[in-house]
Amino acid sequence: MNVIIKTSRNIVIITIEGSIDSKTAGNLQSQIMETVAKTNNVLLDLSGVGYISSAGLRVLLMIYRQIKSKNGKVILVGVSEEIRDVMSITGFINFFEITNTLENAINSF
Amino acid sequence: MDTITEFRKFSASLDSLEPIREFLAVSAQKVGLDKSRTYKLCLAVDEIATNIINYGYLNSGIADGIIDVNVISDYEKLTVILEDTATPFNPLETKLPADDELELPLEKRAIGGLGIMIAKENVDDFKYNYENGKNKNIFCVVLSQGKMQAC
Repeated sequence: MNVIIKTSRNIVIITIEGSIDSKTAGNLQSQIMETVAKTNNVLLDLSGVGYISSAGLRVLLMIYRQIKSKNGKVILVGVSEEIRDVMSITGFINFFEITNTLENAINSF
Repeated sequence: MDTITEFRKFSASLDSLEPIREFLAVSAQKVGLDKSRTYKLCLAVDEIATNIINYGYLNSGIADGIIDVNVISDYEKLTVILEDTATPFNPLETKLPADDELELPLEKRAIGGLGIMIAKENVDDFKYNYENGKNKNIFCVVLSQGKMQAC
């Protein structure tokens, strides 16, 4: 799993590539949470994520809680149908704004 | 009807999760399971395997645990059986999030039980039994339309 963090116009853009399972989720969390703690706007680009388990959902939950506590905004982009399905089963889908393109996501902040 | 059985041993380590998913995906492809249902099967098995690794063997104090993965297909259904020798643990006895809990705002949600719920929801049938000192987690996916009773 690769993680790239960029900041553009006060938006932290986190691009993740690979699988987010119980092996990689802890690593992802430690790589991003410090940055997430310092911003109000997070854009998560999941275009390169082919797989996410409940361990990955837990990381999404942590980001959401952190940003929500500051009245900030989290937007997801590039969410595959399979990942939408698992977010739907667990009720996560209703709480995240999901856009289809990076440009739409950036313009939504 | 012909039955195909594939079997592989994996060490009970988080490093095994991706190889287990790959093993299942290849087996599922051989019997024509589509991409979406293969993904769901891999997800279901991954969630239970994670529990076995993170809780089952850890609570048993067994450092070099093994997870046996059996894949059995007979063209009507594909069955995956995970076997481990950790402390008996029946995932079906775990309290799952209730529907109203799933609608709670995420900031108020408890996270426990999500993995087991995901496992149950993503296959056509999920069973557990304990015999001969082994936990057996059994996942079944129907391969032919209209054969829902196959599982």
